[in-house]
Amino acid sequence: MRDLYQRLRITPEAEAAEIAAAIERCQHTALKADAATVLQAEWRRAEYDALHDTLSDIGRLRARLGLTHAPYWRAGPADDFSLPPGPPGSRFEEWMQRLNRAARAHNRWRRLRLGWWLATLWLATLAGGVALGHFVLP
Amino acid sequence: MTATPFSTFELLLLQSRDQADSAALLLLCWVLTHRGTVGEAERAHLVALTGAFRHGHDLAPVLEVAASQDLSAIQLAAEVLQKELHGESARAFLRLAITLATDGDEPTLANHHVLRFLADLLGVAPAEFAALYASQAGRRLAEPDDPSQRAYWRRREGRAQDTGQEGASRGHHEETAEAADDRASRRAERAEARRQAREAREEAKRQRQAARREAKTRRREEREAARQRKQAQREAERRRRQAQREARRHERERAGERQRHDDARQREEAHRQQEQRRRHEQAHRRPEPPPDPRRRSALSVLGLEPGASRSEIRKAYRRLAQAHHPDRFHHEGEAIVASASRRFQRIRRAYDFLMKVS
Repeated sequence: MRDLYQRLRITPEAEAAEIAAAIERCQHTALKADAATVLQAEWRRAEYDALHDTLSDIGRLRARLGLTHAPYWRAGPADDFSLPPGPPGSRFEEWMQRLNRAARAHNRWRRLRLGWWLATLWLATLAGGVALGHFVLP
Repeated sequence: MTATPFSTFELLLLQSRDQADSAALLLLCWVLTHRGTVGEAERAHLVALTGAFRHGHDLAPVLEVAASQDLSAIQLAAEVLQKELHGESARAFLRLAITLATDGDEPTLANHHVLRFLADLLGVAPAEFAALYASQAGRRLAEPDDPSQRAYWRRREGRAQDTGQEGASRGHHEETAEAADDRASRRAERAEARRQAREAREEAKRQRQAARREAKTRRREEREAARQRKQAQREAERRRRQAQREARRHERERAGERQRHDDARQREEAHRQQEQRRRHEQAHRRPEPPPDPRRRSALSVLGLEPGASRSEIRKAYRRLAQAHHPDRFHHEGEAIVASASRRFQRIRRAYDFLMKVS
């Protein structure tokens, strides 16, 4: 499938007037006819847009996963919907890193809590001893 | 209580008893949402198909994630599947996806592309996938139609109408327009909402990344400035000492050789000028584009600037390898060891590459 918006140099959010102007400008006869048929009828455009969105999503996913040269894409919509490779690094790695960070924070917190408990216990024992010495024993 | 919140799907993956099954479930839900409306019947069908899955959490949140078209969740699921499924298990998953997408008739155009994406993702070659599709759906895998062409719409809408009757066909069109109007508007609304949600997500992500990048560059600049200051101090100290030595020597040699004194002064002057020129050059060398992007990325793995020398590379490698060695994280659990070993591998690969090219 071709990306008519890209070929007409407009954005997918373009208004009807904008589209009409772009079609008017277009030099390519076949493209002009196709775009007029598809984009200037509301229901056709809605359906085309839904598929356009899906293909853009898939293009983005393929770019991030390094699948822009896989056979099915190369043979089909690669020309119009391939995006430049996204920011490097996989979601999985990034997720693992965040997990590690959270695990570390959790460990640290637990260690801290344990320390607090011990300190409190120690203080309580101390206070109890002092109180015993002062009040109970003459 | 954690500082980094996890998305719905990430939490689901954490709870899951089988991550591959959870990921497969999300991608199947994704296929299902591209079939149109997801009703009770479709849901029951999905539940029946995934009876053997061992994920052990509810279906509803996964369906929600799939319906919101959360690309990052789908990407995460795709990566998990790519890691976990090979050979027969990959084919079994594709069979499920095909069944779900076709279900008795031709898959929607979106699903044509989604299925092909899944085949590419799992490394199943077109010939093999076509055979799989034929055996599973009972028909040949056709090329997807192209709604960007006039012929497609003529085929679809012209089935009922005769070619000669212009007026009638126009009337038919009118009627179709009436009938399809609210359907189209609903679809448009949905598409609009989806687009807005995606834009908002991407905007937020871009901002986060920009902030992170900015902080990083600021830190690096500060470090760089501190380093330069220190170097300048050292330089000044050295020069001062040299000047003192020089002065003492002159004290001793004042008697005879005025000529040599001048010479030394000149030499020192030249040296200083050279030093200055060198430093000037160093300061100006950084912005110019580095020769090789692979080399640059390898250097950045080791935390070095482009143009680092061999000994600097070796030093940085030793330091990083010590810091990230998996044995150091032995007591902190398997996941942390695994991620450390991945980092270690990356560092080693970068070092090997740099040693090979430089």
